Amino acid sequence: MEKYKNYTPEDFLADDYFIQWLNDPTEEHEKFWKSFIEEFPEQKVNVEQAKFIVSMFQHEHEKLSLDETYDIWNGVLRSAKRPKVRKLVRMLRYAAVLLLMFASGALAFYLYENSRELHYDLTELNESGSNEAKIILSDGSEVSLEQKESAITYGSTGSQLIVNNDTINQNQLEGREYMNKVIIPYGKKSMITLSDGTKVWLNAGSQLIYPSVFLRKKREVMLIGEAYFDVAKNKEKPFVVRTSDMNVQVLGTRFDVSAYPEDDFVAAILEEGSVGLEIKGNGVIQKDQQILLVPNQKLTLNRESRETTLRVVDVSMYTSWKEGVLKSESEDLNRLIKKIERYYNVHISLKDPLVGAYKISGKLDLEKSPEEVLNIIKLTVPIDWAKKSNGDFIVMKK
Amino acid sequence: MPAHLKENDQTLWSKFLHGNEQVLSLIYLRHANALFDYGCKMTSDRDLVKDAIQDIFCTLIRNRENLSGTDNIRLYLFKAMKRKLVREIQKAHRLQHVDAESTVRFDLAFLHSFDHTEFELTERQKKELVEAIDSLTDRQKEAIYLRFTRGLDYKDISMIMNLNYQSSRALIHRAIAKLREILSVKSDIFNQSFLVLFLRNIKPVV
Repeated sequence: MEKYKNYTPEDFLADDYFIQWLNDPTEEHEKFWKSFIEEFPEQKVNVEQAKFIVSMFQHEHEKLSLDETYDIWNGVLRSAKRPKVRKLVRMLRYAAVLLLMFASGALAFYLYENSRELHYDLTELNESGSNEAKIILSDGSEVSLEQKESAITYGSTGSQLIVNNDTINQNQLEGREYMNKVIIPYGKKSMITLSDGTKVWLNAGSQLIYPSVFLRKKREVMLIGEAYFDVAKNKEKPFVVRTSDMNVQVLGTRFDVSAYPEDDFVAAILEEGSVGLEIKGNGVIQKDQQILLVPNQKLTLNRESRETTLRVVDVSMYTSWKEGVLKSESEDLNRLIKKIERYYNVHISLKDPLVGAYKISGKLDLEKSPEEVLNIIKLTVPIDWAKKSNGDFIVMKK
Repeated sequence: MPAHLKENDQTLWSKFLHGNEQVLSLIYLRHANALFDYGCKMTSDRDLVKDAIQDIFCTLIRNRENLSGTDNIRLYLFKAMKRKLVREIQKAHRLQHVDAESTVRFDLAFLHSFDHTEFELTERQKKELVEAIDSLTDRQKEAIYLRFTRGLDYKDISMIMNLNYQSSRALIHRAIAKLREILSVKSDIFNQSFLVLFLRNIKPVV
């Protein structure tokens, strides 16, 4: 303690123990510095000046919006896979912008600036490939979700939540929105009740990022994977689900969104109410599309071609997974296998790729084991299956 | 940076080196905002900064096999960011026929709203703070930013700024002293009564 007695503020700021106290204080730090100031009260001024100076530099960061964060990463993946194409697109983009700027300043601004009001601060993530289901809270701490099916319910202020049977409190300042994130790996499911009463069923292999309490003009969440939403009615605050390619805006309805990164499509299926879909174009080249859905309609977006298809469907086909049932009507075996893989977190490969084109109709009870499910499929289509020593399944022609 | 997160970085990185590309997205998410903020201090062209981040991570994926292990991803990324941005900015300067030797500025202008909730500053005081920071050299600003905003240690700072350890310490020391001198003379911010008010409202700095 002696060494600090003649320290100037610069000296304090050069001292690691002092900086630690400011950034990551433990009880030991608090005790030490408190007694230091008591013993050397003439140093109080210098300590406070040092603290003030540090605080000057610890606010006001430039942040990437959620969209920007996602866009950059998509760009990384695209260019890592197809280097030549990417440079070309980039040049085209600049060329197009230049052209438009000559044509009309205002128009160019609209097409080039894809501004979103909301700025999210993404909290820490865990591996998307891991087998652990968890919630990540506002302060970065993680709560494990042990069960195969977990239930999470938020209180109306967002600072208290019940996870299965435990109550958890989050430290939140009033008036600030904090992001929470739920990660559900393959093989698990979860049901979350958000602070406004909206219910979300998260399917296997999905993640949901959302504020613990909705303070802004819109209630916005971000989805990777698949979820079924039962949105609490609030005319003043529309509910928006954002995925990488499409935003779903609702007032109070029930719908399913499927946006798995490994699929080549994104789909939204409406059960009740009405939703407006905003489909992102490829920047300057294609404009955004807006589509309105009515109940029992399914919209599919092909991510590559950006083509959309609108069909009338039996909604229960797409939402029965909530109850642990897979319903299919003339569904490609390929697609069905994919859903089974996610639900059970197993790997199923097709030895004869042609069997993937078989169409299946019927109901599968997912409470059964994957072996039983494959046996049921075997009764319907001419396939056979085997299990490898590493746990993977193979399906072949009979 | 909290100790347990630093460890995590190392594990993630070695997983990435061993072929797990998905893990890189976690590294990206963890550091993207910090990199973006750092980049924005050197240029107001947000897209340039975003492109730089994209390029850095794309290069990581493509050159994965040639990379070596590291226990300090943040340092690696910050160095890469600075190197890349400086190159791009100087390229842009040349295109605009600006003095080819021009150095890249480091501007803490974006920090300047000081709309902190912990203490209330008058407009005049905010202006004085802004001016005080502006009177520092770019090198001083960058060093202070790396240490107090990004929490890097002197070793990292000296690597990013191409200084030796002692010089980076001295640089920051001098910068703070200068700042303090300006504020004591030109402002009442270090006035005793103000500090008392400040003390009552201050929460631990995060």
